[in-house]
Formats: sequence, structure tokens, C-alpha cells
Amino acid sequence: MIACVAVVGHQNNPLYLQSFTGADDALKLHHIVHCSLDVIDERVNNPKRSVITLNESYLGLLYPTESYKVYGYLSNTKVKFLVVTTDLDVKDTDIRSFFRRFHAAYVDAVSNPFHVPGKKIISRIFAARVSGIVKAFAPGTYG
Amino acid sequence: MGREVAESCFDGLIIEMVSAYGRRFYATKPDLASRRIEAIGFQVGHQLIERYTVERPRFSDHLEAIKFICKEFWSELFKKQIDNLKTNHRVGTFVLQDNKFRWFTRVLIDPSSEDNEASQGSSSEATSMLLHFPCGIIRGALSNVGISCAVSADASNLPSCESCILFFALKFSI
Repeated sequence: MIACVAVVGHQNNPLYLQSFTGADDALKLHHIVHCSLDVIDERVNNPKRSVITLNESYLGLLYPTESYKVYGYLSNTKVKFLVVTTDLDVKDTDIRSFFRRFHAAYVDAVSNPFHVPGKKIISRIFAARVSGIVKAFAPGTYG
Repeated sequence: MGREVAESCFDGLIIEMVSAYGRRFYATKPDLASRRIEAIGFQVGHQLIERYTVERPRFSDHLEAIKFICKEFWSELFKKQIDNLKTNHRVGTFVLQDNKFRWFTRVLIDPSSEDNEASQGSSSEATSMLLHFPCGIIRGALSNVGISCAVSADASNLPSCESCILFFALKFSI
């Protein structure tokens, strides 16, 4: 079950944060997302050749805590996409296809001429699309 | 599947935008008009590069980003690639040469003026206003992948626009 998704700009400014748990733990999720940003910076600045190639967009599992797992994805324009999930076994392919759809929705939202780059995304259509992608995401189903 | 628009509509839109900013909004301040047009191009380039780099792995250095602009980005915008790329590493300048700039093939420079010098001046002024928009696009695209630079353009071979050669010079600020 996906707990929350987040989009963070290249200056680590939050562009979009949406939680899907229903409980009122937005602050805790903010905190988790914030910690994961440090992991991303570390991965990008000190590439360990054995773990990840320099030019990969998908960053994989960033930060496993006792109840959450955080996955990261970095676009070419230094925009970071993060997904916090409570599932214990999530297939790599599922997460990758999730990020691909998430990235496509983000590109469409940013192409809006009324969107100010660097400010939060306020498009309702983007929020609806992301909710749709999250609902369609279930471990074990591909695509 | 996205919807498509005829290219002539797009040509008309650009020409009208440049003329509106140059002649109506900032008629007495041409450098303000050029900066506004360049800023519009900046936002367009910023958003376009987001769309065109989705599937690509990240760029490892400046040269790769410039080559992407010359090949894939230019093909998406103008259906052809940049014809020549020259670089001066020490100064940090790149020169992109396009031998047949698509947006200018239909720009008509009025040759009816008798005085050769005056017509040369006004035609080069008109095309230099049109050039600010593609310069802004390139600058916006590069800034979104983390490269800040100044872009200037130079058009030669006017008024015969079929063989118009355009040079875009990119200067990097370190």
C-alpha cells in the first residue's frame, strides 16, 4: 500500500506531497521524505560503481525503516520523485512502471503555461491522475 | 495521443507575438521588448526539455547536454538537426550553426525600399527581434538541466531566407 508520493525540485524545494493513508500523519511523511533527500544527494554525489551506474534515472530502494520503504527516481532536470510504501515485497518492475507514469503526469502538469516553475503544483488534474496511478498500483500486477 | 496544429498557425503566432511586443507593448523600448520575448522563450524551453528528456539517462557533462540540444531537441522542434557544432574549450563557448532555419523560411523581408542602407538596417532589426525567441528556448532548456549560459544569435545571408544560416553562440558562465 502506498503511503505517500512526493515531488521535490532541484533545490530540494517541495513541489508536491500527497499522502494516501487517510490518517493524519502528514508531518511524519514529510520527515521521511526529507531524510530520503539526503540519501539521494549522497547517491548522486558519490557514485559507488558497484551499486548504481552514474546515469540511471531510477535510484531504487533508498531508505528502509521498520514499517516503510522509500523508493527514489531522479529526472534529467534534477527533479526527484519519491514513493513511500508500506508493502514489504514490492517488485522492481512495478515500481519502475509507477515512476514512469508518475513522471509522465508530472511533465504534463509542468507544461501548463500557468504553472510557475519552482512553485508547488496546484493542478487538480495532476492530483487526480496521481491518485489514479496509486490506486492502479498493486504489487504483483505489471503495468 | 496529443492533438496537432498546422505549422502555419505556429509561424503566424510567433510573428504576431514579436510584432506585438516590438510595436505595441514596448514600442519605445526595444530592448525591453527583446528581453520579454527572450523570457517567453526561456519558459518554453524550460518546459520542453522536461518533456523531451523523460526516457533518457542523465547527462554526464556539458558537452553531452549540448549534443542532446543539437540532435534530439532540435529534431523535435525543427525536424532537423544542427548542421555544425564548433567549440572553444578554453573560453567556454559553443557555436551552433543551422543552415536552413525552419522558422525563417517564410519570413518576408521587404526589398522595396530604394535606400539600400536603410532597408538593410530595418530588416536586420526585424530578424534580430525574431531571433530572441529561439535564443530564449535554448537558454531555458539548458538552464533546466543545470547549465547556465548566455545565448546570442546571428543571422547571415539575409534577405534570401531559403539559404539563411543561423549561428547560435553559447557562452558559459563559470
